[in-house]
Amino acid sequence: MVDQHTIEAVLAGDQDAWDVVVKHFGPLVWSVVRAHGLSAADASDVVQGTWLRLVESLPGIRDPERISSWLCTTARREAALLLRRTRGEQLTAEPVEPADPVGAGHSADPVLAVLTADEGRRLWRAVESMDEPCRSLFRLMAAAPDAGVHQLAGRLGMPTGSYGPTRRRCLDRLRSLLVPQEAAS
Amino acid sequence: MTRAPSSFGSSSDDESLIAALRLASGHDPVPDEVTATARAAFGLRLPGAATARPLAVPAPSGIRSTGRARLLRFGADGLTVDLDVDSSGGLVDLAGRVCPPPGAGARAEVRTPCLTESRELSPTGQFAVVGLPPGWFSVVCHRPGHPPVATSWTRIRPE
Repeated sequence: MVDQHTIEAVLAGDQDAWDVVVKHFGPLVWSVVRAHGLSAADASDVVQGTWLRLVESLPGIRDPERISSWLCTTARREAALLLRRTRGEQLTAEPVEPADPVGAGHSADPVLAVLTADEGRRLWRAVESMDEPCRSLFRLMAAAPDAGVHQLAGRLGMPTGSYGPTRRRCLDRLRSLLVPQEAAS
Repeated sequence: MTRAPSSFGSSSDDESLIAALRLASGHDPVPDEVTATARAAFGLRLPGAATARPLAVPAPSGIRSTGRARLLRFGADGLTVDLDVDSSGGLVDLAGRVCPPPGAGARAEVRTPCLTESRELSPTGQFAVVGLPPGWFSVVCHRPGHPPVATSWTRIRPE
């Protein structure tokens, strides 16, 4: 658990407290970066930068409730930048950043929600209730994070060109499954 | 800890939902070396330093960028740090200038996660470091009587 005491200890220079922060949020940062389809090496690079930036920015954040959304926003932005570069877009200067990515209304971020085990289980219960090919697609996507589109499509028995559109439809369907419950809450 | 009820709402983007599925499935654990670099990042903290944020650099008129040399500009505390970034042979060369020149006794420290190079600033505020590994770096300007000014971490990859 990362609370105000943890953050104060980090700001006072306590490496053990920092390690707690890394342990707690590390999987979140990694997942956000990997979801952009980066290789393990590129993902490692982006993750490292995200933590370096947290070290530099933590004195201005302080609130443990805001750290997760700050990490998500920063990791996502760096991942998107690196993707654009690997796609061959010439970037002459990288470090253009918003003044403060914190608190920019990220309560609607699913990856933040699944930091609680309950929400993670609810998400997968929704997946398990889905028809094919969505259920298999999501299971496979989660189980084989390094598989390429060609490989995933092959395993699902669909043409490579169908994978992207199918995944999008399944994601939309999953979102619609998750929303009504929330409207009632 | 309370969560907004619309966590999985229609406003979430695909990547975030995919990240959530993967995170909740636990199938893609963080590699040990990634965790190790995250822990080591703390060793690079600089208490009391002002962070110099990126500033827009006016494009040189009439010159089309070749994509080789890159000019980056950072500013904080009335100080501007200009960095010319070039790469050769897979390594990165930095030529920098601190404005206004801080005067005698000032140093520039170029930090990467694996090494730190220190240079005395010239009377005109200039310094250079060659042969840096590609990856993340930050330049720290140390001036006598002032808190250090550090450029926010920036990634450089060789072209």
